[in-house]
Order: sequence, then C-alpha cells, then structure tokens
Amino acid sequence: MPIDSAVKKVGFAALMLAGLIAAAARTAGAHHGFAVFDTTNQKTIVGTVKEFQWTNPHTWVWLDVPNDKGGVDTWGFEGMSPNFLGRRGWSRSTLKPGDKITVTYFALKDGSKGGAFLSFKRPNGEELSMWKGSPTEDN
Amino acid sequence: MSYWTKTFRAFTFVALLWAACVSLVAAQGFKRPAPTAADWAALAKLPDFTGVWEVSMGPAPSTSRIINPAIGVPSMRPTALSLTPAYEVKRQVLMAHAEEDNQSANCLPPGMPGIMAQPYPMEFLLTPGQVTIVIEAYSMVRHIYTDGRPLPDDPDPNFFGTSIGHWEGDTLVVQTVGFSTQTEIEPHVPHSDKMRILEKFRLLDPNTMSIETEVTDPEALTAPYVTNRILKRHRSWTIAEYICEQNNRNFVDQSGKAGINLTPPSDASPAPKQ
Repeated sequence: MPIDSAVKKVGFAALMLAGLIAAAARTAGAHHGFAVFDTTNQKTIVGTVKEFQWTNPHTWVWLDVPNDKGGVDTWGFEGMSPNFLGRRGWSRSTLKPGDKITVTYFALKDGSKGGAFLSFKRPNGEELSMWKGSPTEDN
Repeated sequence: MSYWTKTFRAFTFVALLWAACVSLVAAQGFKRPAPTAADWAALAKLPDFTGVWEVSMGPAPSTSRIINPAIGVPSMRPTALSLTPAYEVKRQVLMAHAEEDNQSANCLPPGMPGIMAQPYPMEFLLTPGQVTIVIEAYSMVRHIYTDGRPLPDDPDPNFFGTSIGHWEGDTLVVQTVGFSTQTEIEPHVPHSDKMRILEKFRLLDPNTMSIETEVTDPEALTAPYVTNRILKRHRSWTIAEYICEQNNRNFVDQSGKAGINLTPPSDASPAPKQ
C-alpha cells in the first residue's frame, strides 16, 4: 500500500483521541499498559528525525529537538509495532533521518524526554496516525 | 499341569502383557499413525480455516452476528466473571499489590486464554490429526491434537495447557487442561490448577470466524466464564516475526514499578570494530 493512501487529515484532535483510547482499550492484551504515560496529557513537539527504529515490540522515533541552551536533545517516542503498522500503510521508510516533523504524543508521567507516539505532521500538512484503525478488507 | 493352573498362567501372562503395554503407552505417550492419502484428502472436507486471521478491531460485534441462524443457536453465550469467595479474596490481594504494568512489559508472553485475545493475527494450519495455531504475538504456537488421543491425566502445567480437539459438524471443539498458575483468566484474576478451557471454532461466513471460549474452574469460578470473539480473514497477510526482546524498552522492576529506557540507540556503546 502506498504511504499516501494512509496519510489522512485528522480534523478533530478529539476524534483522534477518542479513537486512540478505544483502540488502546481493545489492545489491553498487547505488549504493555500505559502506566508510564499520562494519557490525559497530549502534547506536540517539533524536531528532526534522527532515527526511526522499525523493531518489535515497538517502533521508536528518535527526534532531535533544539533546547534552550542552544544545543539539541534527543527525544524518544514509542510507537505501535512494525507488524501492526505495516498492515496499516506504514513502512520502515515512512520516516527518514532528517525529516522535519511535528510529533503528537502522550507525555511521560516523570517528565522525561519522550512519550507514546500518536501521530506526526509534515511541514506540507501531511498527517499520519499510528492508530489508523481497521486494516482494509482483503479477503 | 491342571486346567486351572494353565488358565491361571494364561491369565497372568495376559495381565502382565497388558500392564507392559499400558506402561509403554504411558512412557511413550500416544503414537499417531503415519497419515495416509485418505487422511490428507479428508482435510478438504473440513471447513476452510486456513490462512491468517485477526481479532476484529472494528466495533464490537452485535449478538446477532455471533448467533448465526444458519448455524444454529450457539451453545455458549457470554457471561460475567463470577469468582468463588476464596478467589475473590485472592483477586483483591492481587489488585491491592498490583504491579504498575503486567509482566508482558518484560516480554513474558500471556498464557491461555489471554494469548488468543492479542491485537495481532494468527494462522491456522490443518494437517492430519492436528490443528496448529501460529500466533504472531510473541511468536507463539498452539498445538491442538485431533488424532483421538485422550487428554492427559496429569499434565505438566504450562502457559497454553495441553489441547485436544474434535470436529462436531463444522465446529472444531477444543478442550484444554494443565495451566501454570503464572497465567491469569483476566488481568489480576487467578485460577487453580483445575482450570479447563473449552473453545468452539467455526465460520460464520467464508471470511469470519467465531471463537467461543468457556473457562471452568471448580475452585476459582462459581459458573463457567464465557467470552466470544470474532476474527476476520486477511488473504494478503502473512504472519510476521515478533521477537519481543529485539528492542524492548519497557519494563516492570522487582518492586512492580513500570519504567521505560530512553537511551537513544546511537548513544549506546557501539559494537567493537573488527
């Protein structure tokens, strides 16, 4: 499936959040719970992709974000597994080093530099969610 | 030698032979005969369970979709979990001391019945005398023996138990016994070593599978606990690798606290150059 077909404008953040929580509830049996994340605290952050790890049990987006000291901090965002995402339009090349993106995430409760990856947006307005919902019917 | 002595000796011989056979079977277990061409051909007459299926991620199916008039009224309807007083106390204790996350954060796979409820697909393989379920989550496998062997009397307790199955019309009926008490019926719901699980697998339409699951446990449950799931077939899918230890950054420590490892991969010490 081409990446473009999975790119979807998400008009209402609330709608996406509702979908996320529903999906999270359905996947309660998955790798782990959301204990370390503050699911009431949805944030965005702008940075440059340093590395996209297409690995189990989670994909990881490592994002270089300028800090207020004139340097750069590397933030880590945990995403759904490559198995899940690969059936929903993502691939290991969806994000490449150097891509400038805005990440929407659930912050870590302890305030560390990272969180649960929800979606990202490119400067041209393309937006892609981790939780695209049901895969297409293919039977 | 008298008639009675001969008879006694013959009887003793037969008894010893029988005892030897029983101990041989016990020692070696059930021996499945080599499959014949007819055994392979018989598979074609069974419902087509082949391929990759995933628990439907869409809206919860309505009861009318589970109860398909064409198949008949299902034998099992979903029920609420009802624990015995002793196990209700155990559950309260578990919940009071609950870890922030479950052990799957440390890559320990869930056992039965939780492994059948993962948000990942599973593949059904039918061969003579056996149905094999390849479960993508944690790269797990269930073996269901349909070759007529009995359930074991004293199975080793393990995560998925020991399963035997048979076909009742178009329904695969599976009995499973012998579960480790490391596994749970639901999160924080323990079971005894007498837990049994009955599963009924059948097709509601060519690409929709129903799995009815009934958990019974004379020590833990006051009534059977029944859950139903609907799976959709995905003909273009294959089962992917799922090595949980590949890049697991989640954990629950010994005090039950959940955590996450945020060391960027490129900051980790590089492999020594050759």
